[in-house]
Amino acid sequence: MQDLSSLPIKGINDPWKTGIKNGWDVIDGRTVSADRTLEADVVIIGTGAGGGVSAEILTQRGLKVILIEAGKLMSSDDFTLNEGEAYRDLYQEGAMRATKDAGMTILQGRTVGGTTVVNWTSSFRTPSETLQYWQDTFGVEDLLRNDLDPWFQKMEERLKISQWIMPPNANNDVLKKGCDALGWEWAVIPRNVEGCWNIGYCGMGCPTNAKQSMLVTTLPAAMNNGATLIHSAQAHRLLIDGDTVTGVEVRPLNNDKVPTGATVTVKAKTVIASGGGIQTPALLMRSDAPDPQGRVGKRTFLHPTTFTFGIYDQEVAPYYGAPQSLYSDEFVFKHGVDGPAGYKLEMMPMHPGLTGALMGGYGGDARNEIERLPNLASSIALLRDGFHADNPGGNVELRDNGEPVIDYPVDAYLLEGAKRSHLTMAEMHFAAGAKEIRPSHSHAGYYKSWKEAKEAINKLAYDPVITGLGSAHVMGGCAMGQDESQCVVNSDGSYKYLNGLYIIDGSVFPTSLGVNPQLTIYGMSARNATALADKLKA
Amino acid sequence: MDQGIDRRSFLKLGAAGSALLATGSSLTLLTGCSSNDGPAAGYRHFRQQDVDLLTPLVGAVLGKALTDVGASAEDGMKAYDDLLDGAMPGTRATLFQILDLMQLGAARWFITGTWASFAEQSEDELQQTLAHWSASDRGLSRMAFKGLTQPMFMAWYVKPEAARSTGYPGPPQKIVA
Repeated sequence: MQDLSSLPIKGINDPWKTGIKNGWDVIDGRTVSADRTLEADVVIIGTGAGGGVSAEILTQRGLKVILIEAGKLMSSDDFTLNEGEAYRDLYQEGAMRATKDAGMTILQGRTVGGTTVVNWTSSFRTPSETLQYWQDTFGVEDLLRNDLDPWFQKMEERLKISQWIMPPNANNDVLKKGCDALGWEWAVIPRNVEGCWNIGYCGMGCPTNAKQSMLVTTLPAAMNNGATLIHSAQAHRLLIDGDTVTGVEVRPLNNDKVPTGATVTVKAKTVIASGGGIQTPALLMRSDAPDPQGRVGKRTFLHPTTFTFGIYDQEVAPYYGAPQSLYSDEFVFKHGVDGPAGYKLEMMPMHPGLTGALMGGYGGDARNEIERLPNLASSIALLRDGFHADNPGGNVELRDNGEPVIDYPVDAYLLEGAKRSHLTMAEMHFAAGAKEIRPSHSHAGYYKSWKEAKEAINKLAYDPVITGLGSAHVMGGCAMGQDESQCVVNSDGSYKYLNGLYIIDGSVFPTSLGVNPQLTIYGMSARNATALADKLKA
Repeated sequence: MDQGIDRRSFLKLGAAGSALLATGSSLTLLTGCSSNDGPAAGYRHFRQQDVDLLTPLVGAVLGKALTDVGASAEDGMKAYDDLLDGAMPGTRATLFQILDLMQLGAARWFITGTWASFAEQSEDELQQTLAHWSASDRGLSRMAFKGLTQPMFMAWYVKPEAARSTGYPGPPQKIVA
């Protein structure tokens, strides 16, 4: 039996402890009780993939940058590998973020470094089909693969992205075995790691600093270059004078995420919104930013993700080992870019809290199910959303207190894709040797053969909520492109209706991607932040 | 079933001010309960009426997950309370609105199929209620079942002792100098 519980992880240098000791300018919002005003050349709202990359590039050019982050500063010394503490401290809404009608749960980061601190390290270049669709459908300019490839290469080098060289864990090996048996293509996932211990805790904050998240790469570089970080502080509203943005009003938050009552005013001629999908549109909405076509917050996409459990005779230990190391694109563009929903196949790591939530049910049956965790493998299918008129995505709304909520109807287009993906994953698990499988559907049981599974899945009612869907990829809400009936951001990241405002994060995607989004955000951010630096230094 | 109608009714619930919630708030006047009550003794978020309402349900939903490690329904309820630490204030407020509504027998009947409060049901009756509720084809019932029970599992199984009871040996030991 695999057991890492006595493995010591020690002697790891926490780069933030060292950096702060050496003079990094870090302001903890929890300690700010009096109003204050700060000034910079550029203020960046959000420290994830978009904000981190932008901060490094702009500070390298000698620009004074202030970073605003709603989440807390947590670093390797704080990463205890306790699942509950990780959800509470590192995820949006304590990992309880969900779409408005509870149809989909959403895992999204909320900490210094954003989702890059908790993602599973999969790093893919954007599919050329997706980029071509953006150009053809939304008027995105100069962002085809040959335009972006140099930026992808630059970020792959910066973040040590390369195909995983160690053998897959047993969970990922299921994908290989199943695809091999069925003649489906599969490949090794490129990961942003250096010196990875292969223990499986990417989702709880990497305890060894092997994951090349923003927390250990671009943000330390920006801090060394003189950036200021204000964490535990929510960007509440943009400061707008006429048609020009002049800064941002920031509300420091206490440990319970409640404003301390103080206001930090950050003045800057250039403001970069890098809060990601949901947060960036919400900031614009709270700010009453001009939006003549009413498009801010619209076309938000989630890669709605189905999953299927397989039970195996041999131990799988899906909680240990690099969480994602193999994938299959057999079905991602099988029906073209804009046909019925395509999906990318991967595996997901299973720790007990997440497993219990995904299994659902109640009473004795639920208990019996989770007791088989060591022998469980879990495949996922990421559905490409946003490529069809019947699938316009979700809308960001604001609660009375200004918090964002995402209203994302699970429509017939997605439900059809969910059913097909369940059939695909059931077939894959049995081809890999599974004894039983269960698709992510509240009314599904465990099926003991491919024939039984196929018949049962074809009889299930595919309705919202009972069809188990999750999301770990929030995209869109501030679509990029020249089509002003749908888009609010130009291809260089500038906001169409305010001078000085740039949006550099995943919220600019006019559809989902069809791949895990981090490298797309890194590459596009590097391109647009570099162009912005050129402009500001001209 | 028309999912659209049920979805809309749930959205109204989430947004407050709907006919359903109006009923719920008149109930809170009758019973003296209010969404503004502070947390119950020993809890950081759940109010006393929530603890009274939900603890028997937590016991039934988690069942052997609790008893196998010598824990009680109250332990499960406190774990649920801990989970709410991570939530945004608006998320907690929405949850409390649903719980206020479920103080009303008519709402419990509409959502779970059973008028009686969970505390008034025997163990067998609670299992029957859960069987009926979880199989309901009513959109609002499905949403309430998932919205209330899914966090119970997450809240419980992130506790190290409960986590190890699944066969998961636990994480490596992080040692900070």
